[in-house]
Amino acid sequence: MDGDRLLPLIAEYRSAVLSWVGPDGYPASARCHVTWSAEQHERIQLEGVPPPAAGVTGLACLLFHQHDEHLEGLRQMVVKGELTGDGAFIASGVVTANGRPDTDRMPHAGAPLHMLAFLRVGRRASGAYLRKRGEPWPPIPFEEIGRLVTEHNARRG
Amino acid sequence: MTALVLPPDVTAVMQSFFTAEITTINRAGQPLTWPAATYFDEEAGRVVCAVSIAFPVKAYNARRNPKVSLLYSDPTGSGLEAAPTVLVQGTAEVAEVLDYPPDIIGLFANVARNQPDSSKFSGNRIARRVFSWYLFQRIAIRVTPDRVTAWPGGDTASEPFVWEAADGR
Repeated sequence: MDGDRLLPLIAEYRSAVLSWVGPDGYPASARCHVTWSAEQHERIQLEGVPPPAAGVTGLACLLFHQHDEHLEGLRQMVVKGELTGDGAFIASGVVTANGRPDTDRMPHAGAPLHMLAFLRVGRRASGAYLRKRGEPWPPIPFEEIGRLVTEHNARRG
Repeated sequence: MTALVLPPDVTAVMQSFFTAEITTINRAGQPLTWPAATYFDEEAGRVVCAVSIAFPVKAYNARRNPKVSLLYSDPTGSGLEAAPTVLVQGTAEVAEVLDYPPDIIGLFANVARNQPDSSKFSGNRIARRVFSWYLFQRIAIRVTPDRVTAWPGGDTASEPFVWEAADGR
């Protein structure tokens, strides 16, 4: 299973966001508590199915994420899988936003090697997007954006 | 079209939570949820977030299947206590961020305010050149709500407030 080494990190989170697709075709989500054990491995147990998800089976995902009071200390990973009818979630893969198979921590200035790896991944991926786009991205008016952002936040107080 | 009229505590959540959990559906029907900074444009009655062109999967999914959702369930840093959990289910419009209308500026302003260190980063000429693919080369996902469900105090076992667009957009 992709991202197998990340599953034990589940134990470090207080809750997860469970998402599924409703009968009307819209996705829906609710917070829940889950239990992971090495013995059960890809079988993640929901500690009570959240009421909006009662009776739901089929494709679903669990998002684990956290940040602090300054939107730092970011961690995030998504476990893809299926909901069974008996309150369990069977994982089929784990994805991180940092492109790494060993940690769900997002890069930050305090970890320069991690930041460099993220830069490499990001530049490669954005280069692929731009090649597919066919035209270069227009110049970005950094100073103008900065001025508008400052004005916006000054108005909000 | 029905005007989006929400109770003040629901509006406060959509304005104050640092992140929402956005769910898109991929080609295989698999829902995928990621945290995202958002801006609630109350006047337009819609929510915007923006993804880096290096990680465009959410945008591709939303373009293919515009039914998306946003869950506001993490109050960390918002200053709100006993806030409702809010689920917005709506229709997405996807477009590259090539100009800077008020909702995009509002989104950037939210990030600058909520994550003070990001301003030092984006204010640095070298950093913004090297990381422009992350900071500025973005794809906006604008979500017009079709249904908003809010559970008082975050208790999903309680009777929720529900708003629905009458025209079934």
